[in-house]
Amino acid sequence: MGGLASRLIPLEGEGDHSGWPPSAESFNSRPLFPDLGPQFSWLNNHLTQAVIAAIIVIAFWLWMARRQTVVPSRKQFLGEQFYNLIRNTIARDALGHDYRRFLPYLIALFTFIWINNLFGQFFLFMFPTFSKIGYAYGLALLTWLLYNGAGIAKWGFGTYMRKMTLPEGVPKALWALIIPLEFLSNFIVRPFTLALRLFANMFAGHLVVMVFVIGSTMLLAMTEPANGFPVALLKTAGGIGIVFSFAIFALELLVGAIQAYIFTVLTAQYVASSIAESH
Amino acid sequence: MDEQGGVDQGLRIISYLISGLLFYGGLGWLADRALNTTFWLPVGLILGTVAGIYIVIKRYGRA
Repeated sequence: MGGLASRLIPLEGEGDHSGWPPSAESFNSRPLFPDLGPQFSWLNNHLTQAVIAAIIVIAFWLWMARRQTVVPSRKQFLGEQFYNLIRNTIARDALGHDYRRFLPYLIALFTFIWINNLFGQFFLFMFPTFSKIGYAYGLALLTWLLYNGAGIAKWGFGTYMRKMTLPEGVPKALWALIIPLEFLSNFIVRPFTLALRLFANMFAGHLVVMVFVIGSTMLLAMTEPANGFPVALLKTAGGIGIVFSFAIFALELLVGAIQAYIFTVLTAQYVASSIAESH
Repeated sequence: MDEQGGVDQGLRIISYLISGLLFYGGLGWLADRALNTTFWLPVGLILGTVAGIYIVIKRYGRA
């Protein structure tokens, strides 16, 4: 298989996934059309999978919304369960009776992150998109725009800034001490850590997967003793490593779902805190 | 306070402590660079931590 397909799909001995030891280099994107020169290098395999994830999200929810009936079919039941999960445990808990306006975004956000994280475990992609930090920053920026936009829309710019930078009951003498901290915390540190949390979990998880899978494969492929260890021992270690890699994959499935959930919960909480009546 | 609010609150408290260290530590570092001294950075870090803890107590101490 050559051409475009080999740049989209990681294959053994091709691309960046074959390097040992795995490192930050393993996360480099491959441009889809290297012949076009560096100005088109943004058109790479990871962008493609993010776009595919977005298409899956849109297609899934359009499909779920089609031909709805009062007595749900099996398909509709699945969609409603999913919808209820986000609505009941995230949106309504955090946002109270205001939740309906933000629900579509939260559902899209959760589905999008989850599908991108699942890409880390599934063939064809084998790469969680959000282990590239730029994508995580992008989502955090959307969250930032959402909670600030919602706050400004509700309170007006002045009142909103006052609410976000000045907790109640702080004596005037300490204002100069506190205001920069509140500002930094609410507008920079919190969205930043939101992105970092998602990125670091996916990055570390993918690195561990690579260590287990690639390392075990190399051990299994050994044909002569290395470092004084006999071949049989190396192959046994490789076999055990492969078996354990499935446990790591299972863990990553869990981590991917949890991180998608946490990101959505925190987005809802940020919005809730910016439109809350008082702190 | 439900469970998710608890998660948010915990992360927010960390965020305040980080902000304190960043802001006042950063000011101290700048002062050190500008004045060719070495003591403003630790002073800033400590002041920042104190300010961060103060905000946390002010915001969440009553509950």
